Amino acid sequence: MSDLWVTLVDVVSSVLFVAGAALALVGTLGLHRLADTRSRMHAATKPATLGVALCALGAVLQLSSASDVTKVVVVVVLQLVTSPIGAHMLGRAVGDN
Amino acid sequence: MNAAEMVAIVLLVAAAIVGIARVVRRSSLGDRAVALDALTAVITCTLLVGASREDDGLMLDLAVLLGLMGFLASVTVARFIESRKDDQ
Repeated sequence: MSDLWVTLVDVVSSVLFVAGAALALVGTLGLHRLADTRSRMHAATKPATLGVALCALGAVLQLSSASDVTKVVVVVVLQLVTSPIGAHMLGRAVGDN
Repeated sequence: MNAAEMVAIVLLVAAAIVGIARVVRRSSLGDRAVALDALTAVITCTLLVGASREDDGLMLDLAVLLGLMGFLASVTVARFIESRKDDQ
């Protein structure tokens, strides 16, 4: 039972890591493919929130100490709060071009 | 488990190379700022994967720092672009 549980957690966190990494790759590919700056911003903000959140969830499943888990939570909250603000300011600065 | 982490790291390195190519290629300042923002996210993901691989808290400290620095950087660049627009 315990072995099965460990294997299950490993598989789930592996899937989360690969999904987050794949999202990061798709996002940066979108920077090349999309037409104007705002569309590119649309591609770039996906790995900034969901990609980091998926990787963080995968890391939380593997980490052993509570302080490390707290740091991961801080990383995710910081990313979720600051990334829209940065994107908003950049989007306003970029204007119509 | 290790194989999946390796796959994730390979994908993240590929993402970083694609993002750096976007920054280096001739493009506008706003595009570069957006690409650097995406690169910060990619590096944060890499640090998180690395931290779980090594079970190492130091990488998580770096991830927190990187999140703060990335936010300050993109806000600074945005304000710079705005101020340059006002000058014209």
